[in-house]
Amino acid sequence: MLIKLTGGKVYDPASGIAGVVQEVYFQDGRIIDTPKEVPVDKEYDCRGKVIMSGAIDMHTHIGGGKGNIARTMLPEDHRQDPVPRTHITRSGNGHAMPSTYVTGYRYAEMGYTAGFEPAVLPINARQAHMEMADIPILDKGGYVMLGSDDYFLRMLTAKKDQKAINDYVAFTINAAKAIGVKVVNPGGINAFKFNQRKLDLDEQNSHYGVTPRQILQVLATAVKELGISHPLHVHGCNLGVPGNIQTTLDTIQGIGGLPMHLTHIQFHSYGTEGDLKFSSGAAQIAEAVNKNKNITIDVGQILFGQTVTASGDNMRQYANHKFASPNKWVCMDIECDAGCGVVPFKYRDQNFVNALQWAIGLETFLLVDDPWRIFLTTDHPNGAPFTSYPHLIRLLMDRTFRNEMLATIHPQAQLMTTLGSITREYTLDEIAIMTRAGAAKLIGLKERGGLAPGYWADITVYTDNANREAMFEKPDYVFKDGELVVVDGKVVMTKWGTTHIVRPDFDPSVEKDLQSYFDRYLTMKLGNFKISDDEITEDGRGSLTVHPTVGGAV
Amino acid sequence: MSALTFTLKYQPKQRLDMSPLVSANLVGKTVAEIAQLTLQCGKVLIPVGEFFDISGDDAQIIVINNSYDKLDFIGKEHDGGSITVNGDVGAYLGMGMKSGTITINGNAGLYAACEMKKGILEINGNTGDFLGGALPGNKMGMKGGVIVVKGNAGERVGDHMRRGLILIEGNAGDYCGSRMTAGTIAIMGNTGRYLGYAMRRGTLLLWNKPQLPPTFNDCGLHTLGFLPLLFASFKSINSKFADTSVAFNRVQRYAGDMSEIGQGEVLVRHT
Repeated sequence: MLIKLTGGKVYDPASGIAGVVQEVYFQDGRIIDTPKEVPVDKEYDCRGKVIMSGAIDMHTHIGGGKGNIARTMLPEDHRQDPVPRTHITRSGNGHAMPSTYVTGYRYAEMGYTAGFEPAVLPINARQAHMEMADIPILDKGGYVMLGSDDYFLRMLTAKKDQKAINDYVAFTINAAKAIGVKVVNPGGINAFKFNQRKLDLDEQNSHYGVTPRQILQVLATAVKELGISHPLHVHGCNLGVPGNIQTTLDTIQGIGGLPMHLTHIQFHSYGTEGDLKFSSGAAQIAEAVNKNKNITIDVGQILFGQTVTASGDNMRQYANHKFASPNKWVCMDIECDAGCGVVPFKYRDQNFVNALQWAIGLETFLLVDDPWRIFLTTDHPNGAPFTSYPHLIRLLMDRTFRNEMLATIHPQAQLMTTLGSITREYTLDEIAIMTRAGAAKLIGLKERGGLAPGYWADITVYTDNANREAMFEKPDYVFKDGELVVVDGKVVMTKWGTTHIVRPDFDPSVEKDLQSYFDRYLTMKLGNFKISDDEITEDGRGSLTVHPTVGGAV
Repeated sequence: MSALTFTLKYQPKQRLDMSPLVSANLVGKTVAEIAQLTLQCGKVLIPVGEFFDISGDDAQIIVINNSYDKLDFIGKEHDGGSITVNGDVGAYLGMGMKSGTITINGNAGLYAACEMKKGILEINGNTGDFLGGALPGNKMGMKGGVIVVKGNAGERVGDHMRRGLILIEGNAGDYCGSRMTAGTIAIMGNTGRYLGYAMRRGTLLLWNKPQLPPTFNDCGLHTLGFLPLLFASFKSINSKFADTSVAFNRVQRYAGDMSEIGQGEVLVRHT
């Protein structure tokens, strides 16, 4: 079926198109060139509307065990937002950690067509994929979490060479069906189990004698040498600690020019100035990001209200448990592989710290110059549920609105932020870069995140509206792989997205040593640890899309 | 004015959510309008008129006849007025009720008086588990009001209870008073195992000697001056508890649960 979108203003940063009125044609799921004399099967009048590719959330916790812990722990949150079934969609619950089906629907209803789970534990990867397999419409993928696992730390202690590490990393990416590598509080999750309650960049793990700096260097090198497009995805040390700005700046310097993505950087940009010993480090962070082109960041903006924080960083989650609201929390080890901490949290605009966190996130957005290297996230659900993205976009695009909001937060926080003096307003083109083209480029997605011929037809059509929140929360049309899934912000059809992965090469002899390690220490056999292609595709609705490694074959 | 009466015409196979049929929602509506309201029955919404013959006009006095054990959420958030039910009721009877009275001439199911705030709930039969408890995952159960049970209660009576009074003329099941924060539960019959499990504060008043967990300490025999006052406060309640002959003031006192803060007390009538 040949479909034509007529008269819309196209924003396609991947092709350098910013607000040009032109037709978009697509057929059989792909965007095509203007066809010659072929009758159009269906035409959508998009005059006065804005056309972008489907949005991509490059860091959102939508799969893996912590989500289920959050759901189990917060039935009161779930109860407040019941979602009845319709003849098209299934029932579920929403708010902070929606059920899988509702996650898919609500993302699609905001014009998102892909989401990436940033914390897939290798040993729980099967569960994460099965959970994501239940998220309709969206494409998905995961970054596999390394850096606090016993096997890897043993390798570092034993001073194994980079080649051996690369093989282990590549093996794990293949086994867990991931598209990138993430490290969370490098080595800190493990150090917590040896009773260390903090771990600075150059502090040794008391058991393995390994420092976070070493872990970051080794993993970032492995990711680069394996040719994985997505740079090492780093949740740094000292999350949420006042004064952690120095750790973050040191981390940027310490990586020595290797590509690195610093995630939810808002939580890592705190100074210790002022009467309350808590201040914004956004300006210094932005300066460092602007200067170091190897660095990309996503913000992890907080927005006020009830949410739940779910993280692999049990060290920091344990430290924050006393702020749990409602007062209940979980911290646990996961099979010596990593950890997990789930702490419900209510961000309050009249709380000085929360209010300043809000301002720090926005300062970061507005002070980083290059929209190709900064991404729009709330670290769902840690800063706020993903459903608050339209509100966040309005804060970025509308200075008047932003300043109105600023005037309502804790007065002392207002004095501690430069937000009111920042005049920048994001343009639609910059939003399209952050949420589409840039994200696709960062993750290394081929033929996604753009509207050039040959790309998959993931397309969102919005009505241009000066109120950007209203505009972005209710797209007129959303097409996924060329099929119309959302009309006027409501799902009209559901389908299944694909799972994006990479398959870096490795020396299969790495499995020999792993075999004996698994047999001796772990709860699972090596053969079961590896997820086969069939497990994702055999139910007929999942599929795998393999993206090329840099300098390697697919 | 006569009582607004709902008479069930047949017993639907699926559970029926009765929460819309409370005074606050029905005042000012005609019988025809009420018949048009919809109730969730299983996965479908069905008009009230399909299930009930409706008569009467005083929405402050609601009577439900021919009730059976699949009618859930009767009197949910009930705020003023009275509801009388002839027959059994399902789960979540009087959930979150705010004021007024509910009388059940039959048995009640699970979670009766769940997170109740105020008012009087009278059950003239037996009741299921979690009487006066909290919804799963919530940390506050019943916060006020009075519950009278003429028959037996199930397990977990007063789970997470915070305030209010539960009077049980019959027996109570296992884990009676579990995780209680405060409030009073009085039981004339027998109690099951794990009485006062993880109880923090509050009072369990018993006529018969319980099986207490080892985490309760015996504090000896006491004559307590407040007990006659407590019994006097039962005078207006339609129950055996109002009878002065059941009252006592000499008790064996136990404190616990020592695995929690241990400020709860179990008072057992001394014979």
